[in-house]
Amino acid sequence: MVHKLTGAFALGAALMLSTAAFAQQRVLTFTTDNNDPAPKAAWEQLVADFEAENPDIDVQMNIMDREGYKTAIRNFLTTDPPDVANWYPANRMKPFVDAGLFLDISDVYTENGLDKQLASTMPIVTQDGKQWMIPYTYYQWGIYYNKSVYEQVGATVPTTWDEFIANCEKFKAAGIDCLTTGSSQLWPTAGIFDYLNLRTNGYEFHKALTNGEIPWTDDRVRATFAEWAKVVPYTTANHAAIDWQDAVPLIVQGKAANYVMGNFAVAAFKEGGMTNDTLGFLPFPTINPDVPRAEEAPTDAVFIPAGAKNVPDAKKFMAFVARADVQTKLNEALGQLPVNSGSKVGDDPFLQAGFQLLSTTPGGIAQFFDRDAPAEMAKAGMEGFQQFMIQPDQLDAILTRLEQVRGQVYK
Amino acid sequence: MFPRPIQQRSQAAQWIYSIALPLALILWLFPLLGVAVTSVRPASDLAQGNYFGIPSYLAFENYADVFRNTPMLQYIRNSFIVTIPTVIGAVALSLMTGFALAVYRFKANLLIFFMFVAGNFVPFQILMVPVRDMTLNLGLYNTYAGLALFHIAFQTGFCTLFMRNFIKALPFELIEAARVEGVAEWRIFWFIVLPLMRPAIAALSVLIFTFIWNDFFWATVLTTSPDAQPITAGLSSLNGQWVAAWNLVSAGSILAALPPVAMFFLMQKHFIAGLTLGAVK
Repeated sequence: MVHKLTGAFALGAALMLSTAAFAQQRVLTFTTDNNDPAPKAAWEQLVADFEAENPDIDVQMNIMDREGYKTAIRNFLTTDPPDVANWYPANRMKPFVDAGLFLDISDVYTENGLDKQLASTMPIVTQDGKQWMIPYTYYQWGIYYNKSVYEQVGATVPTTWDEFIANCEKFKAAGIDCLTTGSSQLWPTAGIFDYLNLRTNGYEFHKALTNGEIPWTDDRVRATFAEWAKVVPYTTANHAAIDWQDAVPLIVQGKAANYVMGNFAVAAFKEGGMTNDTLGFLPFPTINPDVPRAEEAPTDAVFIPAGAKNVPDAKKFMAFVARADVQTKLNEALGQLPVNSGSKVGDDPFLQAGFQLLSTTPGGIAQFFDRDAPAEMAKAGMEGFQQFMIQPDQLDAILTRLEQVRGQVYK
Repeated sequence: MFPRPIQQRSQAAQWIYSIALPLALILWLFPLLGVAVTSVRPASDLAQGNYFGIPSYLAFENYADVFRNTPMLQYIRNSFIVTIPTVIGAVALSLMTGFALAVYRFKANLLIFFMFVAGNFVPFQILMVPVRDMTLNLGLYNTYAGLALFHIAFQTGFCTLFMRNFIKALPFELIEAARVEGVAEWRIFWFIVLPLMRPAIAALSVLIFTFIWNDFFWATVLTTSPDAQPITAGLSSLNGQWVAAWNLVSAGSILAALPPVAMFFLMQKHFIAGLTLGAVK
């Protein structure tokens, strides 16, 4: 933030402020993995707004690489913790709270009435009856499709899984992959599994399964995989060899029709030349009509490390990030959905669709398999999903292995 | 003379040579060529699946984006701040150890020399945890000094091997003659040995510079923030949250590769002299 500091000094000089004012500035360190140009700019703007409201606080932002952050956080929380950092709520937060590395911020919730404003995410930031994180954004998952190829083969947008599979026949006849994904990094498979399981067995079952309360060899799990088996023959054959973004051109070029993905993929589709006229979004189709509709919406949040040096200002920052207007502005720049119920959503059709979808979800909001399940279980699970997509006949072996892992992970 | 000049070979051999050489060259340069082409490929090409074709236009803005999106200048500066003291430190230390081990006969001479050599055979990955803990306890974690000190310590082993053998190959009579004249030992080192070591110093400096500049492992283990991270670790920050921006990473990689390449060309004369010196007596 060197240039920002210089800017502040220049501004200070211009306003003829005494240098003593700067000497009194309190420093708030903020470590984040929002290193993408757009999120980075959004956060820099948020920090600038915060500094404008609190001229006595100087926020020093330290931006790290996203993948590296996942391992670095264990390191810096125990060695040299910042005052504020970001991480994921629910199960990903649990080991850190258990280890006493997060600061209890329940008072920030009660003092600012956040339990009402952030009601939808209260369950996932609460542990041991206390709140530990402030969620600031989430985004929907669903099926992104190429409208042109739907027209080309005369398929209608499906609302049920049977219709979806029926469409797949048409796409296959036209030489188009009905469903595409890139599973070389494993996680895209989890999106497919989560939705199939949420639609087949519902949110409560899914939550219990990722919490290790249900055996993987359970018949209801098999029912989920039976639905998956229906679409496996219509899925891009070399998915295990490609990354998620390598499958984007397949949709762009019309070689594939549907992609189960998060809303962040829209930017990649549009980069490839798709527009609101050619790119479509559809909620994952209904499988079991008796199951209340649940959705997948990974949530990002900020927290205060237990070793923070400047706790009072960190709490001020927490309350600021939670505010409705701040979340509106932040998410406009992020291109995602604000969590605060008082916030507004941008007029992007995909965001509108997502907001519609998430705000009317009766069943519950899942966080994504690798956040809901513990890390070891998630890894084994996603490896199993990928294997199933290549060798569906190995299901028994896969489920037995996952069940073994469950026995080791949840104790 | 070896190798025999190609002009003296048979016609067929010359033909095969002139076909095989460009072929091998292209094969050898292919990955680099791929990186170079990707570095000027617009992001839209990648999203459209145009990975290996002709870029739809030459996106030189990738190079600007590298500097705009990440503190790349800071990373490059960090790399220099870590690399230059390391080169100076490792070469200076190894000149002294090399001189001592080559010139003086004492009991543990060979043992100490072997210890320096043996250090090279320790896979540095197994040092990761202890070294990280040590730098942390010394308060050097995520600092230039921590990274540079470790590199100096680790590289001195190899440099000592190099320098000791080099000094050993110098005519010992020079040193003896100086001793007869009553020249102090440190003056022998400074005025007789050091000037003769110039090609070796140049060669080793280029080598160590490249080693340290290209180090990725310790850069990721011992540094965490752009304040101290060298460019090799910083390159990964070009990748986004969701999208791997291969065009930007390629552009960044080319920028990162420039200093060692420039170093090699500038010092080429010394480099080759250093490698072949002492080969022919």
